[in-house]
Amino acid sequence: MERVLILGGGGGGAILANLLPKEEFDVTVVDRDEYHVFQPGNLFIAFYGDSIEKYRRPIRSLLKPHVKLIRDEVTEVNLNDRKVKLKGGKSLEYDYIIIATGANLDFDAIEGNRELLESYGDFYSTLENAEKLYKTLKEMREGRFVIAIADPIYKCPPGPHKGAFLSSTLFERMGVDVDVVLALPFPHAYPSKTISDIIEPELERRNIEVHTFFTVDSIDVEKKRIYSLEGEELEYTVATVIPPHEGPRYKIEPSEVKDESNYLKIDKYTCLIEGFDDAYAIGDCTNAPTSKSGVTAHLQAEVVADRLQGFDAKYSGRTNCPLITDGMGLFIISDYDHPPIPVRLSRFKRLLEDLFVATYWDAIRYPELWQPIFHAYFDATSPAKLGERGW
Amino acid sequence: MPELIKVDARGMACPGPISALTRAYRKAKNGDTIEVLATDPGFKPDVQAWVKRTNNELIELTEEGGVIKAVIKVTGKRG
Repeated sequence: MERVLILGGGGGGAILANLLPKEEFDVTVVDRDEYHVFQPGNLFIAFYGDSIEKYRRPIRSLLKPHVKLIRDEVTEVNLNDRKVKLKGGKSLEYDYIIIATGANLDFDAIEGNRELLESYGDFYSTLENAEKLYKTLKEMREGRFVIAIADPIYKCPPGPHKGAFLSSTLFERMGVDVDVVLALPFPHAYPSKTISDIIEPELERRNIEVHTFFTVDSIDVEKKRIYSLEGEELEYTVATVIPPHEGPRYKIEPSEVKDESNYLKIDKYTCLIEGFDDAYAIGDCTNAPTSKSGVTAHLQAEVVADRLQGFDAKYSGRTNCPLITDGMGLFIISDYDHPPIPVRLSRFKRLLEDLFVATYWDAIRYPELWQPIFHAYFDATSPAKLGERGW
Repeated sequence: MPELIKVDARGMACPGPISALTRAYRKAKNGDTIEVLATDPGFKPDVQAWVKRTNNELIELTEEGGVIKAVIKVTGKRG
């Protein structure tokens, strides 16, 4: 029996644990939290007022019975000695390790950002903070709700846009005159120009004020102003600033496997950590040049599950990031060889996203049953097939 | 001491090169020089728009063998 140690019980870690056949692998998952969080749920809590319970499940309930779960925090990973130390004092050994502990949000990197989070909440960090933002927004009667970004590399590239669209609908439903402002570090309204051209008319139609080349440098919570690196400033009534992200903070030996932002340096196809053949990293904690999103973690988990079973599987870099408004949706589809393809907003795609939300817990718990369905979808919508024709 | 900050964004798709420049710019101070290499054709108009918006100085913008080289003198940072 090969001993597989998976750090992190999020989307990537849980799917991988459940995919490995129990006859061949002795699988242990380590996570510091009791709950697995469906992170897009933050949006539905913050802008629809959904309950927290809808978007979290105990990690134990999502893992197959033969998968061991240790609730503890990782303090040190030694890839040379194949050892992991936990805060509770335990030391674990492995034959294969998969690091899937996600990205950390650094609210102390930008002056004023922690105060902003504590005052208003946000739709990015935790379900509790999303609940807080909903309460904050429900109290607004006028003024400006500003969504801004502190670093161009953040989880879920369409997240801020979803926040802008859904908050504008919330204010409309409340019948209040609040302006929604979206400030982005990019030259256009979306990282990809193709997608930007598609969503700009929709942003305009909803009177969402867009500021490009605006990367947050600091926040003055007294004057209620956000200053950008590029030299501009924005006034707010309520604001949320997506903080800089970074990879794991715990010690990893050798330290060269982390880049300057602590992300794990991996081969973008095999997900192997540079210099190792028994250590992988998947999901938001890696430096893979693709979107930090659930679909990445999911597809990388499948690749690693195949590789551990002796297959030469490779991750294509495929993304499928949903961008939704209150009634419409689109998916941003790209891979390592294709930039985002042209797509249009439709009601059907919003329905697909709702369907995905409804199937989420089941897809984590029984990935082997959902695999053929997801594969059929990814195959039918592959960038190579849809190409310039778009979808 | 003014520094020369080199950013290699070759192979990155839009807006990778501008994002890499933005990250380097956060660490830079007035007087520094940032040199960016990129292969994405969208980088040329993007970097021109960027220096205009940020009040920095574009001292070189060349293209050779599919590689775009932009050299920026940092002058626009707030004190």
